[in-house]
Amino acid sequence: MALALEMKGISKYFASTDVRANDQVDFAVEAGEVHALVGENGAGKTTLMSILYGLVRPDAGEIKVDGQPVQIHRPDDAIRHGIGMVHQHFKLVPSFTVAQSIMLGMEPNRGGFLTPNEENRIVSELAERHGLPVDPKARIRDLPVGMQQRVEILKVLERKAKILVLDEPTAVLTPQEVAELMRVVRNLSQAGFTVIFITHKLLEVVRVADRVTVMRGGRNVGSKAVAETTVPELARMMVGREVLLKVNKAPRQPGPVVFAADDVSVTDVRGFPAVTRVSFEVRAGEIVGIAGVSGNGQTELVEAVTGMRALDGGRLALNAKDATSLSVRQRRNAGLAHIPEDRIHVGLNLETNLDENLIVSRYKLGQFNRAGFLNRRSMRDFAIDVIKRFSIAAAVPGGGISRLSGGNMQKVVIGRELAGEPTFIVANQPTRGLDVGSIEFVHRSLVDARDRGAGILLVSVELEEILALSDRVLVMYRGQIQGEVDPATATEEQIGLLMAGAQPETTAPTA
Amino acid sequence: MTHDRLKRLDAFLIPILAVLSGLVVSVILVLLTDTPPVEAYRILFVAGFGCNELTRCALFTTLERATPLILTGLSAVVAFRSGMFSIGQEGQYLLGAVMAAWLGYAIQLPPVIHPLFIMIMSMLAGAAYGWVPGVLRVKLGVNELLVTIVLNAIAVLFAEYMVQFPLRADAGAVAHSPVIDASAQLPTFLPGSKWGIGFVIAVLTAYAVYVYLWRSTPGYEQRMAGQSKRFALFGGIPSDNAAIRAMLISGALAGLAGSIEILGVHRRIMSAFSVGLGFDGLSVAILGQSHPLGVAIVAILFAGVRLGAQLGLQLEAQIPRELGGTIIGLIILFVALRKFYEGNLDRLRDWLVRRFNRGQARPER
Ligand SMILES: Nc1ncnc2c1ncn2[C@@H]1O[C@H](COP(=O)(O)OP(=O)(O)O)[C@@H](O)[C@H]1O
Ligand SMILES: [Mg+2]
Repeated sequence: MALALEMKGISKYFASTDVRANDQVDFAVEAGEVHALVGENGAGKTTLMSILYGLVRPDAGEIKVDGQPVQIHRPDDAIRHGIGMVHQHFKLVPSFTVAQSIMLGMEPNRGGFLTPNEENRIVSELAERHGLPVDPKARIRDLPVGMQQRVEILKVLERKAKILVLDEPTAVLTPQEVAELMRVVRNLSQAGFTVIFITHKLLEVVRVADRVTVMRGGRNVGSKAVAETTVPELARMMVGREVLLKVNKAPRQPGPVVFAADDVSVTDVRGFPAVTRVSFEVRAGEIVGIAGVSGNGQTELVEAVTGMRALDGGRLALNAKDATSLSVRQRRNAGLAHIPEDRIHVGLNLETNLDENLIVSRYKLGQFNRAGFLNRRSMRDFAIDVIKRFSIAAAVPGGGISRLSGGNMQKVVIGRELAGEPTFIVANQPTRGLDVGSIEFVHRSLVDARDRGAGILLVSVELEEILALSDRVLVMYRGQIQGEVDPATATEEQIGLLMAGAQPETTAPTA
Repeated sequence: MTHDRLKRLDAFLIPILAVLSGLVVSVILVLLTDTPPVEAYRILFVAGFGCNELTRCALFTTLERATPLILTGLSAVVAFRSGMFSIGQEGQYLLGAVMAAWLGYAIQLPPVIHPLFIMIMSMLAGAAYGWVPGVLRVKLGVNELLVTIVLNAIAVLFAEYMVQFPLRADAGAVAHSPVIDASAQLPTFLPGSKWGIGFVIAVLTAYAVYVYLWRSTPGYEQRMAGQSKRFALFGGIPSDNAAIRAMLISGALAGLAGSIEILGVHRRIMSAFSVGLGFDGLSVAILGQSHPLGVAIVAILFAGVRLGAQLGLQLEAQIPRELGGTIIGLIILFVALRKFYEGNLDRLRDWLVRRFNRGQARPER
């Protein structure tokens, strides 16, 4: 088959981060295929595609489209050569309608006046032609993420793209939306479009792509036909070493109860009940998983447990002492650690440096606080120690953290939370958005903490993660614990039914 | 690494570039007059910063006028850094000034004690006036920006009332309060100049604010709460207390500015005392990158440009002194365009680091 795109010897050095983001990368895509571009965060995928789209100027290298050498200096050039890109972070205006967003910059007009009806008609037609139904009059801000992504794709199609670049399109989608996107991508490929699909989720590669190129540390480490490779092989190429896709853990040794929730109710930000009369215990040396579809009260439960949200009713106990009305700081001093779901806005303060991030829950302790003044030397020592113990190679003591990759940011969070040897750890979606290497690290850290004797409450919407790590699994549905299952014997189907609100089997006959 | 270090220079480079750009664009306005631009700027700077004889040194006057700007600028810095967009410096400054003018003659105390006591009382007055928007924000979620605007307007009227009636000294055409007792006056350094101990207090305060915000645990709490409320909540930082504390300190600093202006310069309060000094503090804080050192430098620059425009341009070259205000306005405008410099500075930095890495880092490997 003919090559739709060929990039040769692409190099890009970013002085500001001192990173060789692309190092002599060769990248070739055949016409009409779905080509997955995979690699860990920071491997240089986005940079390579930004160069293709004219957003980043390469230091060296050449680009051929349909066999012809082309010069791409800005996105206009790329669009002219039939290349379109849907960015990792959408670039839509919330108050615009779908049609306005798609036709932005190429609005149909009559003598200089906009013609909204014409605009809507064009968009409807476009959507129909590609089997991507949208409501042209809907406002972007009212659309779910999956729909916004569809708008971005249509926008690219309207600009007559033949090669579509989707940068981590599934990172923000729900499982249903992912399935829908996969279908759309396959259809586009069938219709003759060439799709470059960036991801670091290897199962998606297998599901959607014809060929795959793996990047690591700014280099292309290999391109393969998907049919001729396996997930473990891709994982090894991505990370550069053997990756444990399964977590090894010893049988649990449960100790005393470290945390107990008794009849706990919580309301959400709008004042509606989010958690209703939930009771459970976590013992030392065990991981209790909370499974459930996102939005069934997990966030509120975690906030209530960690002290970020007041209870509406019920009691909490930490290490056998009442903790119902303790502040966040008091709970932390009593041995609680918290790995929050949103590391960028909650778990870290990207505006300050590593040292100050690491002391947030302990700046009042004697180690860091000398008569009201920060002890900067021990802050620095602590940072050096955490970097070493959790091998956060990319972090610099006293340096900024905003440019760290997601995996390294999470390492900073985990390093801070686990450094104090907490007795009870709440981990909410600890691997969301991370690549395989980082996921392995997070899982290892949690299992090690468990083996050391900590009790862990693990909240995750990834069933695989829950099953791989947990010693006991509670399923949450509409703010209640729908049932408890043993991960060793339970099937995904069983749990799936509970997640969807079915009654647990034991009670079924009496109901 | 090198890059991070270079990046830190931005805090200085951006204001400097803004000032230069402001001056260059102002040339257009100068060209509308008969004075050649170079000559106009020479006059401006000699009249603002020059020093011919020790006793008639423009620089001293500039430093005297910079004093309240430094303090109100610091007041804004403390609020901004703590996530409170307070522009209440004007009102707090006025309350501090009224307090000082009143206590300056109404109570009798021995020399050193008298001004110290007054300054403390002025700071309390300013702090109380800062507390109001702080509490409203924390307890009721009322926007502190709006509250401080309203409180400023109230303070202007309150100060005017105090000058016109309770504190009024005589029935003269322009209402003013009695001159404060000699025991309350802050000493000056040189005869014929009002540049005095107040300036030293302002500079020391700048240092204290720096140490407080960046080296103390309460300062850490304020900065973290200011940068990310959710991070603060997550980490157990009492951000409500931090916000209120920030407003108390911010108010106290502006109150101190008013106090020193009375005790060290005017020695009484008169009608229309408010000349927007509080608002200038806001500009100084922004131009000074919300950093105490930047604030001190910018305050002196501001004061100098104004003085130069007033005494130099207006008197010597017959150019309206409003040009000084225009230059300052343009400088602020260019600071607002900082994204523009940042882009170009980034490119410059990239280039520098590239050269550096080629020349130095390579052979090491
Ligand atoms: N504009 C930029 N300035 C400086 N460094 C950058 C820039 N863009 C990317 N990088 C760096 O280049 C590397 C590759 O980034 P990226 O291409 O975004 O990786 P990926 O998309 O594979 O996660 C990272 O180390 C990143 O920090
Ligand atoms: Mg990327």
